[in-house]
Amino acid sequence: MIEIRGLTKSFRQHTVLDHIDLTINKGEVVAVIGSSGAGKSTLLRTINLLEIPDEGIIKFGDLEVDMAKRTKALTLELRKNTAMVFQQFNLFRQKTAIENVMEGLIVVKKMPKEKALHIAKMQLDRVGLSDRIHHYPKQLSGGQQQRVAIARALAMQPKILLFDEPTSALDPELVGEVLDTIRKAAEEGNTMLLVSHEMSFVRKVATRVLFLDQGAIVEDGTPEEVFLNPRSDRTKKFLTNYHGSQEPEFSI
Amino acid sequence: MMPNLFDVELVFELIPKLLKYLPVTIELTVISMLAGLLLGLLLAIIKMKKIPVLYQISVVFISFIRGTPILVQLYLSYAGIPLILKYYNHFHETSYNINSIPAIFYVLLALSLNEAAYNSEVIRAALLSVDKGQTEAAHSLGMTYGQVMRRIVLPEAFIVALPTLGNSLIGLMKGTSLAFVCSVVEMTAQSRILAGNNLRFFESYCALALIYWAMTILIERVIALLEKRFDIDFKSLRKRKGDVILD
Ligand SMILES: Nc1ncnc2c1ncn2[C@@H]1O[C@H](COP(=O)(O)OP(=O)(O)O)[C@@H](O)[C@H]1O
Ligand SMILES: [Mg+2]
Repeated sequence: MIEIRGLTKSFRQHTVLDHIDLTINKGEVVAVIGSSGAGKSTLLRTINLLEIPDEGIIKFGDLEVDMAKRTKALTLELRKNTAMVFQQFNLFRQKTAIENVMEGLIVVKKMPKEKALHIAKMQLDRVGLSDRIHHYPKQLSGGQQQRVAIARALAMQPKILLFDEPTSALDPELVGEVLDTIRKAAEEGNTMLLVSHEMSFVRKVATRVLFLDQGAIVEDGTPEEVFLNPRSDRTKKFLTNYHGSQEPEFSI
Repeated sequence: MMPNLFDVELVFELIPKLLKYLPVTIELTVISMLAGLLLGLLLAIIKMKKIPVLYQISVVFISFIRGTPILVQLYLSYAGIPLILKYYNHFHETSYNINSIPAIFYVLLALSLNEAAYNSEVIRAALLSVDKGQTEAAHSLGMTYGQVMRRIVLPEAFIVALPTLGNSLIGLMKGTSLAFVCSVVEMTAQSRILAGNNLRFFESYCALALIYWAMTILIERVIALLEKRFDIDFKSLRKRKGDVILD
């Protein structure tokens, strides 16, 4: 179980996250929706401390990190409990697909090379890339790169997977293969926090949807609740605008 | 008959004699380069992280090195280090022997510091060229700052900096010819000694020039080869495939 209490982050005067409280249970697939600039990325990035929150408490089971008493060691511990998939893939350019997946296993988990190689092969196989393991990122399509990134995250066996718009940088024809990979990971019971604009995917795969607006969680419920019966006007407006402009076939 | 003003054969006779001192030139070059790279990296990190005090010191240091001739820096090292040691002896009531410091030390010190100052800017630019996405990904896996630096940033920055560092290595190799001002006998000093013996100055310097020239071409070739080796591109895929990983 992951517990977030009073998570707050400002950039200069601008409060991006305003005392966020959020509890995520094991196996939940939580989607975060919201307009651009709402703070979705910042929420994910403060959970693994890529952005240091101004205040708040993050708890992973027994590990509790209070931002007021944060240390380097606690930061690393907390990051070991999470794994992130980025919008721009962020693969290590000088490393092959399999080296990308092995890196965290060897350096962070201190695994022997043979074991790391075995796990990396298995993970790349699961994302359907067993024939690309010696390719460098630039020799792979965007969709393939993102699948390597997902394999790299899964290999770490994190308590939570953080996805920040994993398909937004992809050509439309490559979105499907990445979404399939994410769905498979969700079905295998991985706990996830996923920022996505793929509303139909979110409806199908998420067990819970959050609507983030002006630094606060305005909506928190099942996909049906949030999409069909949003409580706040801002959510309604967002969904109407969203579907009005991008998925005209889908109406509320 | 033409007067024997220039003796070509002598040039080729002198080359092996000078080559006996090539190890000294190589030693000076390699040690100064390695020390210069390490110290340059340190200066680059100090500059990037804007570490107080150290940052100001490094700015002044780099400005001084850039603003003074290497020859003068060698003089300063040769004359200054013994002075510092004398002061140290005086204030700590120790009796370190100045003559126990080998002359080569003064050269290595001056060349290393000079190399570090010039390399630090190159290294800093190369470190900054590594995109933030990769370092964020590495941090998100739970890697420490040192691990991210060693495993992700430095390997890529090295490739970026390689051509410039190659030029700097060539400059350094040629710069070791000034070591004679600290009484170190390397190739250039030896060519003057040989010339002094037989008064064949021009032949001696020709032989010397040929060796430096060959060395430069050799370094250029090695750098080009390394660049090719590290260039992770479609072209080189077939060659690199398979030799990267265990199997
Ligand atoms: N490193 C940063 N420095 C300054 N402002 C930032 C930074 N990162 C994000 N912001 C600001 O915080 C707000 C939320 O950004 P973000 O979390 O990226 O939103 P979203 O992912 O929902 O589009 C935006 O107004 C953005 O400009
Ligand atoms: Mg974002």
